[in-house]
Amino acid sequence: MSLKSLTRDWEPMSYGFLDASAKREIRRKMLKAIAVPGCQMPYASREVPMARGWGTGGLQISCTLLNPKTKVKVIDQGADDSVNAASIRRFLARVSGAPTTLDTLEADLIQSRHRIPEEKLRDNQVLVLQVPNPEPLRPVQPNMSIARQMHADADYGRMWLQLYEQILRAGRVMQGASYPSLVNGRFVMTPSPIPRWDVPKLHMAKHLTILSAGREKRLHAVPPFTRVEPLVFDDVPYRVEEHGALTCTRSGARGFFMNEIPQDDGSSAFEISDSEYGVKTLRQRDGEAVTFGDTWYKHGEMAQ
Amino acid sequence: MAYVATRGGERAIEQSQRLYRAEMGAITPERVAETRRALPYLIDRLMGEASLYDEDLAALALAQTGGELYEAVLLLRAWRTTQPRLQVADPVTQDSLLTHRRISAAFKDIPGGQILGPTLDYSHRILETAVLSGETHSPDPVTPADTPAPAQHPSVAAWQADNDLLTAPEPDRTTGNDIPDVTREPLLFPAKRAHTLQSLARAETGGVLALGYAAQRGYGQAHPTVNELRLGEAEIQVRHPRGTMFSAGRVKISTAEVVSKQGAELGLGFSATLGWNEVKVIAAATLDLNADGAEKGSPTEEEFFLYHTEGVESSGFCNHFKLPHYVTFQSSLDAMRDAKAKKAQQTRTPEPAE
Repeated sequence: MSLKSLTRDWEPMSYGFLDASAKREIRRKMLKAIAVPGCQMPYASREVPMARGWGTGGLQISCTLLNPKTKVKVIDQGADDSVNAASIRRFLARVSGAPTTLDTLEADLIQSRHRIPEEKLRDNQVLVLQVPNPEPLRPVQPNMSIARQMHADADYGRMWLQLYEQILRAGRVMQGASYPSLVNGRFVMTPSPIPRWDVPKLHMAKHLTILSAGREKRLHAVPPFTRVEPLVFDDVPYRVEEHGALTCTRSGARGFFMNEIPQDDGSSAFEISDSEYGVKTLRQRDGEAVTFGDTWYKHGEMAQ
Repeated sequence: MAYVATRGGERAIEQSQRLYRAEMGAITPERVAETRRALPYLIDRLMGEASLYDEDLAALALAQTGGELYEAVLLLRAWRTTQPRLQVADPVTQDSLLTHRRISAAFKDIPGGQILGPTLDYSHRILETAVLSGETHSPDPVTPADTPAPAQHPSVAAWQADNDLLTAPEPDRTTGNDIPDVTREPLLFPAKRAHTLQSLARAETGGVLALGYAAQRGYGQAHPTVNELRLGEAEIQVRHPRGTMFSAGRVKISTAEVVSKQGAELGLGFSATLGWNEVKVIAAATLDLNADGAEKGSPTEEEFFLYHTEGVESSGFCNHFKLPHYVTFQSSLDAMRDAKAKKAQQTRTPEPAE
């Protein structure tokens, strides 16, 4: 017996960067997360060649799921052209040989930070959301071990109290992004810092969503056709951002989530946050044949 | 939203890295070798935080990042995590360490003796400015002692345990792959003893110092006495696939035992790390000493200090705030404006008094 017979030939890097033991652990934890929707599964979370907090959780999921045929789309704040999205996309392609795309319709796997694309995802697409803080209870309980027990007991009273206090103090629920949501009637999860606009897209969606926090070493999942209900009181309805009537000043797209661009004259202009949807709109305007997918929102309203 | 925007982003990334590296110039084998030779304590600190003992790789990481320590640790950690684990070495005991320096603040003299060893503790901190005007500063040669100190020493805590001053921790007989490995398993609380010691061993020096110092100033209950601080070299004994034991070399390690009076007995805190890094092990052992029974959410509670001294995580998260957050910001603005509008409306039409 020699060392050579026990090990494979040295390679500078494994396929998809992570070694087999890391991928095996993540696959197991993903299966568990799918089996118990919304429940946070701890995992070892290896270091990757990117800084913690920059999408390392999502990256580990993508690295595990990729094969040379997987078409990958990476977005940050809705945009494919953001520097960090460009960096992650280049990394994924480099370590796996996977082709990349900007078009939501063409993608098999979408890694995203803080947005869900405006075009509906299909049952053969996987959405990987980067998560900075996987614990929805953090604002009421910073201690992870206590919060874990609270989830086990479905002890969400303080979450409700927090929302009630906001209504009392400010006249409305003040939660911006990361709106806490009840998954499958059991676990409260953070949907990651997606805007409230995007949370209804997860409810009974056809696609699988994996949410992964690399720094905090937790992943959770929303399997296809799973109830995702934002925490709301019966008499105070859930409200998404008032973007339904806004028009993108560059593309003319209307009725989607927008970025506000402050103007010199004190006013604001708006640009569509889903950058590729904006590009498609521009192309269509220029007379190109463009395929738009069905959108979750129609005329600025979430389709029922 | 130009079509070329994506390529523009990638070009910007490439150029920004060139700009960063332009100032450092070429990374040559000579530069790496000189870095390793000239900065052994920085290399040690880096190897400890990376939990990877390789002086050449550590020197390369320093050269490659221009000394950006957090970046250098991340480079080494990302490299380390992909390496196969071929063998787990035999446990190293304190009395087997090849000791270079060993001091105790608890007793004037200790079995085996105090060994001052290499230290700047009693140096006068005066810059050798003459070097900047062209002179070479060569350290005076060391005069060896007439009788060399013994190479191996028992631990002070062992003597205290024999004399009924403290209850020695139950020896952990776990070996090989059964030892819980914090780099391959999630850290959960209450943490396994192995996870705690491993996390402290690879913790960021500054972070451990900040929280350890907080405990020492009085935010911890136990005031530490340095029972024993040791700098040494540990022999790495591994088993060849054929079954024979052999030494894979020696690694520099630091260990600290700190004690404090807890009732009629001494409480014991312990820490060890790769490389010679005294501040880190004293601070880490202080945290270990204070962890037992610490209040949830206090700086000396295990969950609090283990999470917050993890340098790769803390520096990465701090840096991530540079990333665009305009979606979350927009979402907050929407709620704020609406709340403001509601308030304005309310003041215009005050509710009738009941």
